[in-house]
This record gives sequence, structure tokens and C-alpha cells, in this order.
Amino acid sequence: MNRRVYLDHNASTAVHPEVLEAMLPYFSDQFGNPSSIHGFGREARDGVEAARERVAHFLRVGKDEIVFTSGGTESDNAAVKGIAAARGRGHIVTSAVEHHAVLRSVQALEKGGFEATYVPVDGHGMVDPDDVRRALRPDTIVVSIMHANSEVGTIQPVGAIGRLTREREIPFHVDAVQTFGKLPLDLDALGIDLLSFSSHKIYGPKGIAGLYIRKGTKMASVQHGGEHERRRRAGTENVPGIIGLGKAVEVRARDMAAEETRVRALRDRLWAGLERRVPEIRLNGHPTERLPGTCNVCFRHIESESIVLGLDLKDVAVSAGSACTSGSIEPSHVLVAMGVPLDWAMGAVRCSLGRTTTVEDIDYVLDCVEPLAGKLRELSPLKA
Amino acid sequence: MRYSPTLIEHFRNPRNAGMMRDPDGVGESEYPECMDLARVYLRVRDGRVTEARFQTYGCGPTIAASSAATELIQGVAVEDLLELADARVESAVGGLPADRAHAAHVVSAAVRAAARDAMARMREAGGKPAGGA
Repeated sequence: MNRRVYLDHNASTAVHPEVLEAMLPYFSDQFGNPSSIHGFGREARDGVEAARERVAHFLRVGKDEIVFTSGGTESDNAAVKGIAAARGRGHIVTSAVEHHAVLRSVQALEKGGFEATYVPVDGHGMVDPDDVRRALRPDTIVVSIMHANSEVGTIQPVGAIGRLTREREIPFHVDAVQTFGKLPLDLDALGIDLLSFSSHKIYGPKGIAGLYIRKGTKMASVQHGGEHERRRRAGTENVPGIIGLGKAVEVRARDMAAEETRVRALRDRLWAGLERRVPEIRLNGHPTERLPGTCNVCFRHIESESIVLGLDLKDVAVSAGSACTSGSIEPSHVLVAMGVPLDWAMGAVRCSLGRTTTVEDIDYVLDCVEPLAGKLRELSPLKA
Repeated sequence: MRYSPTLIEHFRNPRNAGMMRDPDGVGESEYPECMDLARVYLRVRDGRVTEARFQTYGCGPTIAASSAATELIQGVAVEDLLELADARVESAVGGLPADRAHAAHVVSAAVRAAARDAMARMREAGGKPAGGA
């Protein structure tokens, strides 16, 4: 019988037992619509506002600056498009390695008449604040740079970028979906005006996330309807989801520091083992400024889906660094932006560790990867 | 699981993998959209395949299809392999999801290329089947 090992925590996480317990009453007992004025509604409203308070406290911001959304993707869309809608025209600065939720939102805005600059990254996937500075124009209406990249884990110098934008009074949006609840976030010190964050990356449920909007930031709502979220995002609140997110944040506040130290050590064990036991591999992302649990590796001469499948057959879950869909390969836009040669980039595999990852899991994965890589290399016509 | 048990078996335990010394025919095919690369080696006696081997770079289905193809073409006349249809390879691997259909295409193209090479070598040798009387 194989061990089941999940190393895809950047994709999603299992709901923490305490989170699930906190959510359950809000499905069948406190099930009211928070907008209803009767007792059922008030109960639900109290739960939502308590969760909001918890999130705001965690980020050390005002309660009214937190808007709940359906996911990190919606938060990213709302941030970028909301500012664009408020301004009507202008220029956007973002990076070449953003999540598609930001990239495609910006591309959609370009089709609508906005202009955009996509700043490059270096070989580690890191943005240079000087490139951002050079990209800024008098008509720049927003800068959007992610805190850490979901694929390779590189942590961006958001503090330095925030100083630039604060000086020029340009709203600065940070997609923190991969860092919220993993790395400390002092939004004021970092100069961040909008922050996307998500529940299901931190052991909360899927389908709920949030956007921090600094008081005074001029935004238009992109989802119209009722008066919810102070008219910033219409739609009946996902009450159990919000309760779950609030509880997930409470648990992270308690566990985050120790957990990230533990996970970092396991990640380093994984990379050290891979480097020792598997020839012709390379680590992607910054060697030190990287998410504690992320280990993205390129295997030369073998293709990522074959590695993911081989590991899946051993009940090890990892993520392919490229996507082969409909017969057309899409090497990771992040690796391409980092200048990783295609014959390496096509063999990219991402391992992302988490709360439940153990030393035994790491050692089992290493025992699986070594022979698998050897076997696939034996099959490959490309090996030297 | 979106792959057939046959495909999984061929991926887990690929048959006939590796180079062949002094092949009677070699063919290669690349699927440019995907960068999958399949190479097929043939040993031919009396105009029929007596041994086939493969080397493949690509996703799991392409590796599995390569393995299945080397079994499929055992004993088949080289001439018949000139027109090997993708569907035969897909069937040999127990079917493919739509977004992996290219696996059958790249492998059957490699087999067809190997057959063409074998036929050309036979003609060069004066029309005598390799290893035959």
C-alpha cells in the first residue's frame, strides 16, 4: 500500500478541523441571510462581522477595509478593474509573472483602451523595483505586483515598490494569495493599498476570499446588485465560507510562525535530497527569498506530465510546471519570463509543502522520484 | 482516473524501451505544439517486423502509446505500416482523452517514418528483404 502524500498546497489545502467545526452551525442552524432584519439574519450577520473583525485584526487594518469575495481571482479582478473603472483611462504597471487573474484582467483592460507595462523579472523570478520606477508614468493609475509567485515561490520586493507608489500616490495592489497567513504582512509599512487574499490556501474552505481596500482608495464596484459589503461587492455573503475564513485566520495567527519554520526545513530537505540523488535538475525561484514550502524543480530531458503521472501512481501529488492541453504545450509563463530554456522548462514540477507534510513524506517522495527520473531518462531520446 | 488501465500499465511498465543496435529502420516524429518526440527502431526479416523498440520524450500517454505501438506492430509487414492509422495506436493503448490525442498521432507518425526508412533500405539493398534469402 502506498503512502498518500500531498505536495500541492499552493493549489489548495485541506480544511483544518477547527475551521470545519466553526463552519458547520452556519449551514443548518445559523443559516439566515445576513441582510435579513430578523433574528436568523442577525445571527448570520454577527458571525460575518466577527470573522471580518478577525481578518482585519490579523492584517492590522480597519474592519471596513475588508471586502469578502468568492476567491482570489475575483479579488484580483475587482482590484485592477475596480480602479480602472473609477479612473476611466490610464496606464497600468504589473509584472510578467503575475497570476493569470491579474494578467488577463490587465489584458482585457488594454483591449478596452488602457495601456499597460509588464515589467520583466530576473532569472530568479524577481522584479527589480528600478524597473517599476522606470515604468511609472504620469498617467499610471495602479501598480499590481504579487507578493510571492505561486509557481516558483519567489518573494517580490513589495516594500521597495510600495515606497515608490506611495511617493507618487499611485494605488498599489498586491496579490497576496500565496503569502497571506504564511508570511508577516505589515500593509502600512509596505505601502500596500489593495491586497488580495484567499481562504483555501490556508486551510480554509474554497469559494471565499477577500480584498483589503485602504480607506480613501477610489474604486468602482465591478459586481453590481444589492448593498452588500458597503456597496463594494454585491451578492449574498457566503456565510459559512466567511466563518471558515475567519477561523482559518485565527488558527494561522496562532500556528503560522512555527509552522513556516517546520515547513521550510522539510522543503530544504526535499531539495537537498533531490540535488543529491537526481542528476540534471535545477531549482527554480530565488534561493532564499522564496515561500517556505515551495520547491519548483526542472528535470532535464524528461517531460513534466510524465513525472506528475509517475508520482501520482505512487499516490504522491505534485503539480506540473507546464500545461499540455489540447495538444498544445504551454510552458509556464513564469519560467519563460525567468529565461529558463525550453528544454528545462518543459520538465518543471512544483512541490508545495504544508501543514500535514512530514519527514517520512519527504523521504518517501525522494525514494519515488529517484527511480522514476532514472526510468524516464532511460526512455528519452534526448539524454546525452 | 482519466487514463485507461491499459495506458497506465504501459506507462508503469513500458515494453521494448531503449535504443536498438543496427536497426533496419528508424523513424522519428515530433509534435511541435507539444514538443513530444517519439523515435521507433525496427528489426525486419522477410519484410516483417520482428522487433521494435522506442525512445520517447513526452507526457505519460505518449510514452504509453510508444510502448503499445511496439507490441502492436510485431509481425506486421513493413509495407502495411506505411499507412498505420493513429486510431490503431489509440486503440492499442486503450483509448486517449481528447486533450491527449496527439500521443497516438506522434507515435504512429514515428512508426510510419520507421517503415519508410526500412523500405528505403530494402530497396537500396536490391529489393532483398533484410536478413532474407
